[in-house]
Amino acid sequence: MKPLTPEQSMYTCVRCGACRDACPTLDITGREADGPRGRVLMARSLLEDRIPVNAEIEEQMSRCLLCSACVDACPVNVQVPEIVMLAKEKIAEHKKSPFLVRTLKRFFFNHLLPHPRRLQFLGHLLWLYQQSGLRWLVHKLGILKLFPDSAQQMEAVLPDLLPPSERKPLPSFTPGCSEQNKRAGKVALFRGCIMDVMFRETNRHSIELLARSGFDVVVPDDQVCCGALMYHNGQKDTTLELAKKNIEVFEKLDVDYIISNAGGCGAMLKEYEELFRHEPEWLERARAFCHKIRDISEVIVEQGTLPKAVGNGETVTYQPSCHLQYVMQVKRAPEQLLSRVANLHYRPLPESNLCCGSAGIYNLLQPKMAGDILHKKMGYVKETSAHVIITANPGCLLQMKAGVHSEGLQNSVKVVHIVDLLAESVERAEKQASTG
Amino acid sequence: MIEKIISELQRVIDKERVLWRKTDMMTYAYDASFATQLEPKEPEAVVIPLSTDEVQACVQLANKYQVPLYPRGAATGQTGGAVPIKGGIVLDMSKMDRIIEVDDENFQVIVEPGIIQANLNAALKKYGLFFPPDPGSSKMCTVGGMISNNSSGLRAVKYGVTRQYVLGLEIVLPTGEVIVTGGEKSRALKSVSGYDLAHLMIGSEGTLGIVTRIRLKLLPLPPARGIVLCSFPKIEQAIEGVRAVYHSGIIPSAIEIMDIYATRAANKMRPDLNLPETEALLLFEVDGNKDIVALQVKTISEALKSHTDYVKFSDDPEQCENLWQSRKIVGAAVGNLKPGGIRVYGGEDICVPFSRLPEAIRRIHEITNSYNIVCGIYGHVGDGNLHTAPIIDINNQQEVEKAKQMIEEIHHLAIELGGTTTAEHGVGIVRAPYMEIEHGQALDVMRRLKKTLDPNNILNPGKMALPT
Ligand SMILES: Cc1cc2nc3c(=O)[nH]c(=O)nc-3n(C[C@H](O)[C@H](O)[C@H](O)COP(=O)(O)OP(=O)(O)OC[C@H]3O[C@@H](n4cnc5c(N)ncnc54)[C@H](O)[C@@H]3O)c2cc1C
Ligand code: SF4
Ligand code: SF4
Ligand code: SF4
Repeated sequence: MKPLTPEQSMYTCVRCGACRDACPTLDITGREADGPRGRVLMARSLLEDRIPVNAEIEEQMSRCLLCSACVDACPVNVQVPEIVMLAKEKIAEHKKSPFLVRTLKRFFFNHLLPHPRRLQFLGHLLWLYQQSGLRWLVHKLGILKLFPDSAQQMEAVLPDLLPPSERKPLPSFTPGCSEQNKRAGKVALFRGCIMDVMFRETNRHSIELLARSGFDVVVPDDQVCCGALMYHNGQKDTTLELAKKNIEVFEKLDVDYIISNAGGCGAMLKEYEELFRHEPEWLERARAFCHKIRDISEVIVEQGTLPKAVGNGETVTYQPSCHLQYVMQVKRAPEQLLSRVANLHYRPLPESNLCCGSAGIYNLLQPKMAGDILHKKMGYVKETSAHVIITANPGCLLQMKAGVHSEGLQNSVKVVHIVDLLAESVERAEKQASTG
Repeated sequence: MIEKIISELQRVIDKERVLWRKTDMMTYAYDASFATQLEPKEPEAVVIPLSTDEVQACVQLANKYQVPLYPRGAATGQTGGAVPIKGGIVLDMSKMDRIIEVDDENFQVIVEPGIIQANLNAALKKYGLFFPPDPGSSKMCTVGGMISNNSSGLRAVKYGVTRQYVLGLEIVLPTGEVIVTGGEKSRALKSVSGYDLAHLMIGSEGTLGIVTRIRLKLLPLPPARGIVLCSFPKIEQAIEGVRAVYHSGIIPSAIEIMDIYATRAANKMRPDLNLPETEALLLFEVDGNKDIVALQVKTISEALKSHTDYVKFSDDPEQCENLWQSRKIVGAAVGNLKPGGIRVYGGEDICVPFSRLPEAIRRIHEITNSYNIVCGIYGHVGDGNLHTAPIIDINNQQEVEKAKQMIEEIHHLAIELGGTTTAEHGVGIVRAPYMEIEHGQALDVMRRLKKTLDPNNILNPGKMALPT
């Protein structure tokens, strides 16, 4: 658990500026107000009622990506994102959003995300949209033009969903392959909500990769969404409900680790302990749960054995997810795994420490800033001459795809989740071994 | 009137880089100093220039309308140096941060002032070169800010201070002319042609000109380093230890001291460091090629043997990193000495003659005890430079007042011991009250220089006890 609450940590900022160079938004504009130090000061002034709630402060607070890079850089661990969230909560109290927005939000956060089945149904609809003439029609009629550029781009880069017939439930138990590897332990996969609808293939590959690295893998069917989106939209009650449910589901399993393959989900799961700071009856259970959370790369590097893997001779680079590197503190594992793949040229991405600008729905809410951040990022990608950008989080994956799209690199650059690349490379190695 | 200036500024500079909204102004009202944390001072406008031309345009407008102008790097300064204490316009130089040219054949680099020290060195690494002055703030401060404060840091014992590396500057004068001193076209490493205007600018804290381009001398990056960590029951023994090392014929790249409170704080933050909590902990760093490092580490440990029974050393990179940890975290760790307290920057940069270090440390402890304020001391002992870190509850008015008085006493102590109130952080507004005692008649010459170069008192007015 964090030693200080956000309120306490707000007062420990000594204005040393150590966070400045880590901040992606400050990197774009150079305005002190677009950096962590400025944000802490503004939030504090607002929370102490020294400045009023108005459009200006609302705009300032909404420019933070909440990426946590500054927390990582701060010598005294000032919880900048949480402090910004406190300010946002105060702003929200003063400003009721329009009825329609509230209703939509409530529907989305309370009636959709927490329910895997409903989400799957939405997935079916989306598949239908993609497969039927509807998408063609929408494009033809220019309906998308009514939406902001970033939303248009997102529509264009959404992955093609698997048809409902192929989106079968994930196997509830997969034994670790012990021919090549010693048994490394028993793990449970956290499948995520949106992840499981849009990136079912990646979840499937995660199971394969873990099993081939020596782990027995279970996937409990009654797990629910991690709650990240609700939490960050101020729906704490729903978040707590989901957290309790997940804790109950996973503590029944007797596994060594709970594995996440999405930095955003993993980071939220690690926050559960913090959520129950004031609920002693849940705190212990939450702590035990949190101690088991691992990112898939991390657990393979530390506990498992990646089987022989062979690439396709391509040049790859890696864009880390902020939540993975700064909140989960998984910094080297993904690159270590990539370096173990034969016939793959890995080039480090310059300034990879900076967020890609995706940050939940930031790219929809702050299209200009997100666009500038992404444009800069794509410049670095070009410097590496990579054919493949590897990511470890669905948000970053979509954002990098949007970047590839807007820079017109669709034909030369692919964006791939690290699990997919690794699973395919392992498979390739196996095929080569059996044929050669 | 400021509206008029803002609209004129917007005509020459991108609207997005001319700031005037209330919240923006709040965020330019401070640096890292205790003083501006207590009393922030907001500007009326901020400009983020991208070129010398834009800087020049700002200076011309400031003269036209007679408003003050304050150059600012990353505002990591601890003296209020870049803070607009008289209103007016802040020039945020941090976006002019390009490396213009690495001339590795001549061991030189030309940069814009906003570049961050650590980023410059990261870029120089592939040439096997480096810019040695390394303040504790190297990851955040700008080279322009370093020049203006003549910053140094851990490795000043061996490599000296920023001043020693500046070969030439492009400067926008307070009256708007652009001069190049120690020219960009020249690549000479030495020159005595004319008055040394570049060095007049260094340490002038943004009162005599705005630095827009910098030509720096570089040194070869030492491939290896080694660390010796040792602890002494008494401060006097520690100083004897340093003397013994000097007499062994070695100039370490850094010699750092931590007092018992600083050590205790480091242990609290990182129990695995497990440092002995005695009156003084010393860290020696040596660098050079691998063989030389190994030899130096051995010689230093030998030299220290008769002064202490606790010596740890290594020339293995990973081990070194570990031994160096206590020094790296101490600035942040001291905050742990008192729950609910934060470290404030004040009286934090005194420098005394080497021979009087034990007395200085003892007397600082006496002073801080008499105020009942927890305070860690650490610093660059090889130069006699001590950083004191008072930890107070900044929301407690009584404690704030006590701290102010205590800081005053520490400054007077430095002067009494034949030292200075600031070794590297500068004067700004915080040390202005001591300028008269420290400089006497020389302050008058500084004031005359200021008046000659800046007749309208446009640039960074109210700092360094210059005319107001
Ligand atoms: C944690 C911490 C540790 C530190 N450790 C050290 C240390 O070990 N050694 C040390 O020397 N200092 C240290 N400092 C102090 C400070 O970081 C240095 O003085 C630094 O060089 C200031 O750089 P800056 O870019 O932040 O300048 P600022 O604080 O923005 O400005 C400092 C001064 O430079 C002037 N200035 C800035 N840019 C220009 C320009 N382009 N042209 C003209 N004038 C300009 C400003 O007007 C001001 O007077 C430390 C500070 C912190 C917070
Ligand atoms: S948030 Fe942390 S790093 Fe940033 S100025 Fe405050 S104390 Fe320094
Ligand atoms: S969370 Fe990210 S965007 Fe927000 S202040 Fe910190 S580093 Fe900047
Ligand atoms: S982070 Fe994962 S589980 Fe949580 S809301 Fe997002 S997709 Fe769903």
